[in-house]
Amino acid sequence: MKNCDQFRERTEAYALGALDPEERVALEVHLASGCADCTKAVEEARWLVSQLAYTAPEAAPSDMLKGRLMQTVRAEAQSQVKPHAMPSRSAIPLWLLAGVAALLAFSIYSAWNTRRLEGEIREANNRAAALVGERQKIEQELLLAKRESMILMDPSSIKIALKGSDAQGPQLEAKWHSQWGVVVMGENIPMPSPHHVLQLWFIPKAPGKMPMPSMMVRPDANGKFVLLISNPPESMDATKALAISEEPEGGSPWPTNPPRYSGGVS
Amino acid sequence: MFLAAFTSTGPREVSPDATLLPRLLQKDVSAFEQLYDRHSRLVYGLVLRILQQASMSEEVVQDVFLQLWRNADQYDASRGPFVPWLCTVARNRALDRLRLKSERQRRREDQPDELPSLVVAPEYEKVLDDKRRAERVRALMASLSPQQKKAIELAYFEGLSHSEIAATMKEPLGTVKSWIRNGLLRLKEGLQATS
Repeated sequence: MKNCDQFRERTEAYALGALDPEERVALEVHLASGCADCTKAVEEARWLVSQLAYTAPEAAPSDMLKGRLMQTVRAEAQSQVKPHAMPSRSAIPLWLLAGVAALLAFSIYSAWNTRRLEGEIREANNRAAALVGERQKIEQELLLAKRESMILMDPSSIKIALKGSDAQGPQLEAKWHSQWGVVVMGENIPMPSPHHVLQLWFIPKAPGKMPMPSMMVRPDANGKFVLLISNPPESMDATKALAISEEPEGGSPWPTNPPRYSGGVS
Repeated sequence: MFLAAFTSTGPREVSPDATLLPRLLQKDVSAFEQLYDRHSRLVYGLVLRILQQASMSEEVVQDVFLQLWRNADQYDASRGPFVPWLCTVARNRALDRLRLKSERQRRREDQPDELPSLVVAPEYEKVLDDKRRAERVRALMASLSPQQKKAIELAYFEGLSHSEIAATMKEPLGTVKSWIRNGLLRLKEGLQATS
């Protein structure tokens, strides 16, 4: 596991709640990646930290507190007691009732209930699959959001201003972290033409090498977007500049329009 | 299920809590009362140490025990031993109240209000009664340097981060990190030696 030792050193402080946000987020991302050893270390560290409770001097709460609590608890317990159903009495002999019930159950249950149960099982399976899918999606989004915040907050990330062709127009900003990727953000960005998107390009330093196509985005209704590129097509050292151009929907393998925004990678 | 953690077989189940907690699931008022009697002094002492105000501390303790009463069946079995969990809930609640009180929420604004985290007792954990455990932990804390002790207490009882502790104590950030880590490791070693 990458950098596991570095994270292991922080498990006690994490359990104590003493890590500053950047370190906390980095450790949580690492835990979310599924490192079983660090997860176990954190769980045990929580136990260790919980022992600090014993350093507080014990003190007795007032009798009134216990009185209030017990009153609430008794009232809630009472409200959950359900009246017992009265046993039903019948003039019909039990054996006859049982026979009729068995006959009915045999004729109806075997045909109808089987089909119903199959339907319910199918529906339950569908619901479970949908929930699992939803959860995976949320976890994925959370991971991406955490990675974005790590890139934005890490002091070693390089800031790149992407200036527009119109000096008065909006500017975009990118932050590039050598390990975690690039985040590009924009506000008040005009919408691209219909059936077009904005596409990011990595312009290589090597002379004659073509711009490397990257992700596409359309700003939201407020002209805002955040783009995370976890695996840039070029390394930071080999990249001269970032650029964004308007391209046909679906993207293009090479730029077909001049860049709307660009900025050098220093 | 949360409560299964207290009912499975093993050396840690000698605690009377193990028999009370399943009854709590059945909404047994007397089991709740016994749990309250057993642990309210520890929980109240902890909350009072954090909040330094009796009436507010009682409100928090009331919340904690009502949460236990109402939601005992919602927790996962693997959430671990009872008393550490209860103390974790109480500390979280008290620190939330403290931050609200002093408008110092900025540091945790991005943290979700989550249920208490998993607390797993390590292999070396030994079943000690509360009194002996308190004596042991206090003795170990007393053996730390005054700065180590203060840094850990600022984090645990006041919810301060490394940076905030460094600013409060006017010491370099790296020094504060070392004090806290080495102090907690010493506490861990001491507890291991106890078992």
